[in-house]
Amino acid sequence: MVKLIGAVLILFSASMVGWQISRFYSQRPAHIRALLVALQMLETEIVYGLTPLHRAFVKVGQRVNQEVGKIFLLAAEMLGSEQAQSAEEALQKAVRRQWSQTAMRKQEKDVMASLGQVLGSTDREDQQKHLRLAVTHLRGLEEEARAEQGKYEKMYKSLGFLGGLLVVILMF
Amino acid sequence: MQEILAILPSSVRSVLTALPSTVLEVLEEIRLRQNQPLEIRYGQQTSYVTPSGQITSHARQGWVFTAEQVVKLLNKVSQHSLYALEEELKRGYITVVGGHRIGIAGKVVLERGEVKGIREVTSFNVRIAREKKGVAQKVMRYLFEKGNLQNTLVISPPMCGKTTLLRDIARSISYGSEWSSSRKVGIVDERSELAGCLLGVPQRDVGPRTDVLDACPKAIGMMMLIRSMSPDVLIVDEVGRPEDGEAVWEAIHAGVSVICSAHGAEVHEVAQRPMLGKLIKHATFTRYIVLSRSNGVGTIQAIYDQNLNPLKKEKVVWSS
Repeated sequence: MVKLIGAVLILFSASMVGWQISRFYSQRPAHIRALLVALQMLETEIVYGLTPLHRAFVKVGQRVNQEVGKIFLLAAEMLGSEQAQSAEEALQKAVRRQWSQTAMRKQEKDVMASLGQVLGSTDREDQQKHLRLAVTHLRGLEEEARAEQGKYEKMYKSLGFLGGLLVVILMF
Repeated sequence: MQEILAILPSSVRSVLTALPSTVLEVLEEIRLRQNQPLEIRYGQQTSYVTPSGQITSHARQGWVFTAEQVVKLLNKVSQHSLYALEEELKRGYITVVGGHRIGIAGKVVLERGEVKGIREVTSFNVRIAREKKGVAQKVMRYLFEKGNLQNTLVISPPMCGKTTLLRDIARSISYGSEWSSSRKVGIVDERSELAGCLLGVPQRDVGPRTDVLDACPKAIGMMMLIRSMSPDVLIVDEVGRPEDGEAVWEAIHAGVSVICSAHGAEVHEVAQRPMLGKLIKHATFTRYIVLSRSNGVGTIQAIYDQNLNPLKKEKVVWSS
């Protein structure tokens, strides 16, 4: 009886591990997409709306996916409360704090870091150029992430379950 | 004062808050130049400030404003969004919360021969705007004739309280006074000085029946307001360009009273200027108020009617 419960537990946890890993693959493109949309909104706010950065951050942050939006909301909060001396610092800190909550990788983080260096500190045209560059960059990464999702998502899901099953079979 | 301190970097703030309160109360300008000592203008005097907040006339003892502070100040003033200040950088000054104005200088960037903006800003001139309510009381009765509001030109050299007077006139007309019932007022505030708008909301009390078109070029703005808000009176600051003159002309002939201001020391001096001269010659304005600093900021030097006859008996200096 105890063995049976143990087997069920093993099967369950192995499936969960597989499911978690596969979720990472399915969420990454979604998060990159959200970041992409956020940057495009930011471009509108900056180039056409001339909205000051911290208000633009709040607007964008509230309108996109929660995990990604939180980065912008955090950055806005830091700019508002003088915890950060510059936009670069605010964005950097926010990314550092919130990044682990997202499924994104270092490549995406690098894009944000290089964008942070210029955000707010140049004129409109220049801001637009940099934002567009970041968006193009993210598009490439999104495609890559989607390809990976197609390849690995299902695989890890089945792998988890089958791995668990293997252990159970060996147990009996 | 608090508003101004809030936009300065903490290091500058701590030097300024250490100043004696007698100086702080009359502070008019804070001048910050890269690698130069902090200079303040208060009352009629100027001086440097030591790191401990003492007043000194020796430049070498003054607290030095470093390049790092420049970046911090610019960040704070622009709210980390330089792109939003393009127009301001082109004009050379920035209006901040409370209607205070920060003049800037540095390296000018040109595009096809026109100023595109200022990059590498190195000098700041923080001008503290003070709202004085009730200054218009002395002139209000001259602005009406048989209950009709007269088209008025306020003439004044810089820093004589011209904008303060205009604002108070706007407020008095909007609230209504013992000389007239309240009227609809339209303000075209090209430099965001009259109403000191932040996000379109006047930071100064300009009255309950006042509509403000913030940061709008005067000539276009006057026409826009006439069409959209049907004001009884239009108030604009510092008219001078040819198109402003046409707009004033048109507004007056559209049945709207106009009260505006121009830089100058005397009516005949202003009359030399091409656009204003034409308006004066055609007796477009029926009142002229001349300000000076002779008895302190906001001294009313003289008030004239359309034929340039003095109306105000006391403190009249007339030379032709």
